Formats: sequence, structure tokens, C-alpha cells
Amino acid sequence: MNVIRDLKIDIDEALRYLGVKDNAQPALRSEMQRLADELQSMIQPRFTFRVFSLKHQERDVLLERSGIALSGEMSAEMLKNSKKAVLLLCTLGAGFDSMLRSMQARDMSKALMLDALGSAYVEAACDAAENELKKDFPESYLTDRFSPGYGDLLLENQKLIFSLINLPKTIGLTLNSSLLMTPFKSVTAFIGLSPEKTETEETGCAGCTMSPTCEFRKEDV
Amino acid sequence: MKKKFLERLGKEWLFFDGGTGSILQKMGLKGGELPETWNLKYPERIKELYRGYLNAGVDVFNANTFGANRLHYPDNVTEIITAAVQLAKEARIEAGREDAYITIDIGPTGKLLEPLGDLSFEEAVDIFSEAVKAGAEAGADLVLIETMNDSYEAKAAVLAAKESCDLPVCITVTFDENGKLLTGASVEAVVAMLEGLRVDALGVNCSLGPREMMPIIRRLAAAASVPVIVNPNAGLPVTRHGMTYYPVQAEEFADLMAQIAEIGVQCVGGCCGTTSEHIRQTIEAVSKKKFRPNTPKNRTVVSSYNREVEIGETCVIIGERINPTGKKAFKQALRDNNIDYIIAEGLKQEGAGAHILDVNVGLPEIDEPAMMETVVRRLQAVCGLPLQLDSSDPAALERAMRIYNGKPMINSVNGKEETIRNIMPLVAKYGGVLVGLCLDKEIPSTADGRIAVAKRILEAADSYGIPRKDIVIDGLCMTVSSEPKSALCTLETVRRCRDELKVRSILGVSNISFGLPQRGIVNAHFLSMAMQNGLSAAIINPNNAQIMAAYRASNALLAKDPNCSDYISAYAGTAEINAPGPAKSTEGQVPAAGAQSLHQFIVRGLASPAAEAAREALKTAPTPLTVIDREIIPALDEVGKGFEAGTTFLPQLLMSADAAKAAFAVIKESMSAVTQTVKGRIILATVKGDIHDIGKNIVKVMMENYGYEVIDLGKDVDPEVIVDTAIRENIKLVGLSALMTTTVLSMAETIKLLREKKPDTKVVVGGAVMTQEYADQIGADAYGKDAMASVRYADSVFAEN
Repeated sequence: MNVIRDLKIDIDEALRYLGVKDNAQPALRSEMQRLADELQSMIQPRFTFRVFSLKHQERDVLLERSGIALSGEMSAEMLKNSKKAVLLLCTLGAGFDSMLRSMQARDMSKALMLDALGSAYVEAACDAAENELKKDFPESYLTDRFSPGYGDLLLENQKLIFSLINLPKTIGLTLNSSLLMTPFKSVTAFIGLSPEKTETEETGCAGCTMSPTCEFRKEDV
Repeated sequence: MKKKFLERLGKEWLFFDGGTGSILQKMGLKGGELPETWNLKYPERIKELYRGYLNAGVDVFNANTFGANRLHYPDNVTEIITAAVQLAKEARIEAGREDAYITIDIGPTGKLLEPLGDLSFEEAVDIFSEAVKAGAEAGADLVLIETMNDSYEAKAAVLAAKESCDLPVCITVTFDENGKLLTGASVEAVVAMLEGLRVDALGVNCSLGPREMMPIIRRLAAAASVPVIVNPNAGLPVTRHGMTYYPVQAEEFADLMAQIAEIGVQCVGGCCGTTSEHIRQTIEAVSKKKFRPNTPKNRTVVSSYNREVEIGETCVIIGERINPTGKKAFKQALRDNNIDYIIAEGLKQEGAGAHILDVNVGLPEIDEPAMMETVVRRLQAVCGLPLQLDSSDPAALERAMRIYNGKPMINSVNGKEETIRNIMPLVAKYGGVLVGLCLDKEIPSTADGRIAVAKRILEAADSYGIPRKDIVIDGLCMTVSSEPKSALCTLETVRRCRDELKVRSILGVSNISFGLPQRGIVNAHFLSMAMQNGLSAAIINPNNAQIMAAYRASNALLAKDPNCSDYISAYAGTAEINAPGPAKSTEGQVPAAGAQSLHQFIVRGLASPAAEAAREALKTAPTPLTVIDREIIPALDEVGKGFEAGTTFLPQLLMSADAAKAAFAVIKESMSAVTQTVKGRIILATVKGDIHDIGKNIVKVMMENYGYEVIDLGKDVDPEVIVDTAIRENIKLVGLSALMTTTVLSMAETIKLLREKKPDTKVVVGGAVMTQEYADQIGADAYGKDAMASVRYADSVFAEN
């Protein structure tokens, strides 16, 4: 388990989650900054990870000694040049959920801002975790992150991940019967480790099945 | 004859075992394979694990039952636990160590409890009870609950252990490097709660190595009165080339444990990454150290899920406003089941500076035990202040004490045999700091008489095994207007509680001024006097600026506020004191009189100025309704249209909604005689399996501000509950929210059931994964793209008639 400190939350990213376009009022932005500072003083994200050797099979990509085989086009494409993959698990923790619930009882507008900031925070934490990983694997390139429920990677993989690692114990992450994770601001993601820089076809928003209807899709897609 | 565990616990060194997982992995346990399955599959290997620790010399070793609960083993949990204990008994004989004690080892369920997750408290108790019973019947010697990182789950496990067997109960919890559980409780808060629940020993395990644990162990040893257990990992895990391992070797581990032994702990062992060799060397090193038993600590502490409050040298403020006595609106809220109103009273007092909240929801015509439980749950979900549970009904107290997360205050017992008999056993079981009122069949009129009653209460507490530090004496405030010497008598009682009885004191301060004009003046001065006489806790109205000023000033004058820093931070830069209160405007915006209209304040989302402007507008408007029609509705409309056009954003929409709500509240007060119309009644719910409810809550705020009454059924709601409520309340529109593709299925199920049982009800759906296409597929009447769209749809449904 690793704790991430001194991260910067990207306010613009959080504003984008709120549906605020580039003409945000200064008052809104400064309130967001104040909340971001409070959030960072209260909550430190945690992450853990595992590394697996990959076996490329006809119908899926097997993570050796894990019982997890990733089927579907996205995994095949993302991991096509990788011999190893990292499973990254990151969460803001239950403290964020308490903070958000408490804020909802006080001020719904601020709660909404906090919710968006939490999303930006956990993404930033994943980026920071990736930077740590790069140090561990200087000879490898990291592919984009992809998670169960993205594209055609089945959400059911969450069950396998949770039975493989004792996540309630290591970082306080749990899964309910609807495959919903709590605490809410949590990410489980795979990252390929590839000997050369991999050009993948459909990554980012364009590769997502939600792309046609998504409110949060980046403008340039 | 073998000594019993409790005869040795806390009187000599007791050595616990070390890690399990890493040893089993070496024997061939695969990733993802559940370790407890080996109790049946490879009994010899499990016995080998046990014998390793027995040969190393442990006094206590864990049956391999850490994860053995029905969530992991729905079909054979009892069989698995029985086998684990049976193998432990065999290993004990084989190793010639029949003096060693076998624990039934209880780990976390792996689920988060409500309100953070979806496991209910009672279900958690039930899951743990099943495991404890199986272990006890198989012949374990004690219960060891370990690796708990949530105080609420820890409480469920301890209660389960206490209720389902007679074995000793020990518990170790897992703190992070800041000395907090994952759900927020500090070392001191956890100790207060667990000692209240009367565990036999408590301590810390996992997560950290011995070096990182030392500051936490010092805090534990300083706070705890019962024996302390320390089971660290073999250092912080290190990952190299994808493999995780624990770096601290046996010799270094033993050295560090010997240092820990000197801090004043009584039981040591290890956790992840430690082996029988770590433990063997630890036993050798620690045995040489002088054993010191733990000593009773005299701090009076109450706690919540994330903080502790000490009732000690500095007086604490207990907010008195959650109480229906003499409050019409509060009584009505209780009758209407309007919990939001009660929660708001609590949050307001927290903002005003209360340290603890008194909770009294007694009203003859309501189900008080049920209401008490609901209010405590709901308050604890949003507010971290410890609570004082206040009721004369033991059933209401027990309901609340059971589900309370932390160690509560209990208000109250008195000198009458009956109250002691009803309430002290509850405090003995669940823990708590108990208020003892110095009255009997009558109220003694002298301090001598009151002190005599206090003594009787303390003696009764002794007989129930409740430590005296957990009793706080109420010297009783009687109105000074009818009995001139009553204040003097009260003050003397407070002083003698401190000086003679050496117990903490509490007063319901406001009673002193009953029947007098300007009661705040008398209350404030009396509070200062009581504080000088050593008052430990004051039950007051923290929203009253005058009394809080007396409180802060007295603390400064009595040298309880170092550098007067609290006083200065409350009053620096504020106007003179008869302008009520410290700076409290959270918006930092004061309206320039007349410069802006109500309309503008709502559009800009400024709540207090909007309320003020509404008050002004009422003075000149022909009727209250014209203020609504000409100012509030057009303003809301402007904001709503801006949102739909993409020029105003959701946070601003909600701020405007809040400002409108503040203005509505002012206008409603003035219209109490006029019938208030509601546009319609709507059910909102987050569907079964889904526990993320911010989207639903946003829609609720908007609906309410557009004149709808919302029946909020909450999150993770069964289809049957939604349908039954729709039928019972004859609801025309139901709004459902779902976050995940998996929970859209239960949304579909809810709609199907609604169509069968109440076909005339319309359904609007929303949520992160929802689309128009999805909404059509599952048979919803409308897709609420956002909160505004849902309001517009509601308008169209209710406009039809």
C-alpha cells in the first residue's frame, strides 16, 4: 500500500466533470480552489498494484498466476505489444465518502463541486501512481490505463480482481453485489508494459462505448 | 492444571503468533485461493503452520479462520471453522504445548457497513456471531478480532462475540501512519469505544511495521486501561519487479519488539510477513524485559466514528436544540417524520461551536425508540460530533446505544432504584458516559443532599462494573426566580463534585433563568460562574451568541484557552459584543441595502441576502404570494433557462435553488395562516444495489424548490418499498436513479413491478449510464437528462390535471 501526498488537483478537469465550459465565473473557480485545498488537506489517496506476465492466447490475454483472462478487442489492442501488465488499484478512501455525504447535508452546490474534485483527484492519483511505476520499470513503456466496464472489457472482471487481492485490507476498497466499488472514488485499471512505444488505435474517449452520448467527452474527439 | 487465559492476561508477557498468508503461499497457496479452504483440503499443512508457532514458543495462536464467514463461504462456514479449531487442538498435542491458547480468529467481512457501504450493522453482527459460535463450540479458548479498519465493524464484531459466547474477547485494529482507522477514528476514540464495550485486551496489528507503529503504540498505552496487544508486520511492504515482500528480518524485528516492550505493552506477536523465526527471536528478546501491567487511566471520553471529545478540565458545550420541549415546529417535524429538519438543527449547532449534540426526540404520540434510532443513524451519517442520547425510555436508549458508532453520552439516571436498574446494565454492555442527576424521589434543596445522591449513583455504578470516570454528575439547575438560593446550591454541588467526589459534572444551564426576561443574560453569567466552579460540560443553546461569548471569555480568563487563541479567532475583527455573535457569514457577502433585489440575489445564489431581501419585500408587497410570483419564480426561471442554454452551470443552479429556498422559508413563516399549496408529491429513490446517491439528492433539491413535495426513499431501495409507497401515498410520479449498468437492471425490475401494481404512476429515470434509448428499453416514461429536465417533466405530468 502506498500513500500519495502533495498532489495537485486539476481544477479545469473538475470543472469539465461539472459540465462547466471554459467560461467559468471567477467566483466558481475560487470556490473550487478552496474546496480542493480542503480536500487535499483531509484526504490522501492510496494505491497498490500487482505485476503479471502476460500470455497472449487465441481468444484472450491471460494474466499468469492470477486466474484472470482479459477477453475482448480492447484488451487485445491495448496489450498487443506487452509482455507484462500492471493491475493498478487506487482509492481516495472512505474519508472522502463521509466528507461528501456530510457536505450534501450542508450545501448541495458545494457537494457537487466536491464530487467533481474527487473524480479529478483520483485520476491525478492514478497518474502519480503511474509515475512511480515508470521508475520501477525504466525499460518499459506504459500503455494507457483501461478498466473493467470500459469498452468491451467486462465489468465482471471486478469479481476476479477482488478475489485475487484482499483489497478491503490493503487499501480499504470493497465491491458490492452490483459490482459497485465503495469508497466511490476508486479505480481498478490495467496498464500494459511494452518494450516499445505502442500506437494503439482507439484509446481515450474515441475508444469508449459511451462516446456517442457522454456528457464529459473531451471536445476534440 | 492449565491456567485460564484471563488469569495470565495482563499479569505476565503473553506471546501471540505471526503471519499466516506468506507461510501458506510458500506451501503452495495460489493467488485468489482462499486460505481457509486448506483446513479441509490440506489439514497437514495447516497443522505444520500451527506447530511452527507452537515450537517457537507462542502462548496464543490463531485458528486459520480469519476470513471464515458466510460472505466468503456461503455453504460451509461452520465446517471450515470447526476443522480449523480441531486441527489446532491436534497440533497443540503434537507439539507438546497444551498450555497454549487457541483463538477463534475473526477478520473483517470485506464489506463496508452502512452508511458507507451496503452491509447493515445487524447483518454484520449476525455474520460474526455465526463464526464465533462455530469456533466456541469447536473448543477455542478466546476470540481474537483483528485487522479491523472501521470502528463500526469492530463494534459489530465485539458485540457478536460478547453475545454469542462466554470466551474472553481481544481485539486489534489497523491504524494508518497518522494513527487513524481507514474510516477516520483516532487511537483515543477507538480505545474509548472498545473499553466501553468491555473487551479484555485491545491493540494494533497489520499495515505498519514495528518502527512505524511506535508513535501509535505510545498513544495506545497512554489511553488504554486494559492490556495492550501489538502485532506488527515485518516492516512496510516493498515491491520489486512486481513481487511484494516484507523487508524486516527476524533479528531486527525482535530488537524493535524489545523496544516496544519497554513502552508498556503486555502482549506481543506479529502479522503479515512475520514467520515463526521472527516470533521465536521476539520471545527471546522480550522475555528479558521487565513486565509492567497496564494502569487504569482516568480520562472521561466520548467518541464518534471520527473523533473523541474529552470531558475534563476544559468545559465542553453540549448543544440542546434537538429537543421538542417548547418547540412547535420541532414537534411537527417529529410527527411528520421530517428528519431533515432535525438534522439541520444539529448541523447548525455544530457550526456554532457545539462539541457534543444532545438528542431528545420524545413525543407521546410517536414511536420514540424507532425515531431515536433513525435520528442517530441519520445524524451520524453527516455529522462527526459525538451524541448525548437523551430519553427516559430505556428501550429508546438501547436502540440508539446499540447502533451508535463510537462511545455515546447517555442522559440519564438519577438516584431512583428503577432508573439505575433499567439503564446501568445498558451502559455496562454497550459503553457510554452516563449522566447521573442528583435527584431522588424529590430534589434535595441543599448541596449536601445532592452530593449524597451523587455518591449513591457512583456506588451503583461500581456494582455494575461501570468505571467512575464514565459517570458525569448533574448538580441540577433550578430556576432562580422561584428559589433565590438555587443557583448557589447548584454551584456548590458542581464544586464539590470536582473537589470531593473527583468526578466530572454537567448542567442544563438554561433552566436557571426560567421565568425571567432576557434569559440569555442570566444564562451567560451563570455559565461563567459554573465554569469557575469546575463545570465539565454545559448543555446550552450554542446558537445564542451571548452565551457562547460567556463561554469563550470564561475559558480565556480561567487559563483554558492558551494565548486566548479561540477567543481571538472568534471575535477578532467583529463589531462590539452587543452586535450578536462572532463573524458567521459564510458567504462573505453583505447586501448593500436596497442595492439589489431579491430576484438578483436568487440569480446570483446568495442565500442569506436572499432571505433578508425576502423579509424586506414582504413589508411592501400586497401579499406574500406576490413576492413568490413576481420575484422568486421569475428568478428561478431565469436561472433554469440559463442552465438549459448552457450559460449557467449546475453548481450555480443549485446555489440559486438554495437561495430561493431561504427566501421561501421566510415567506412561509409569514403565510402560516394561508394554505400553502404543493404542486405535487413525488417519490425519489436510488434503486436496489446502487449506493451512490448524489444525483438523486440534486434532483431532490431542485424539485423542492420548484414546489414539489419529495418523498425521499434514499438509496439501495427495494422495488417493493418503492411500489408500496407509491400505492399507499397515491403517487403520480416516481423518479429513479441508477449509476451502473448492473443496477439499471433493478431499475427495470422496479418499473415492471410498478406497471403491474400501480399502472397510472409515471416514471422518470436518470443517472450516469442512462440514455434516452436505455430509458425507452426499460419502459420508463421519461429520461431526466439532468435535474432541470426532471423538473420540467414533473411540471408536464402535474399540469395535465
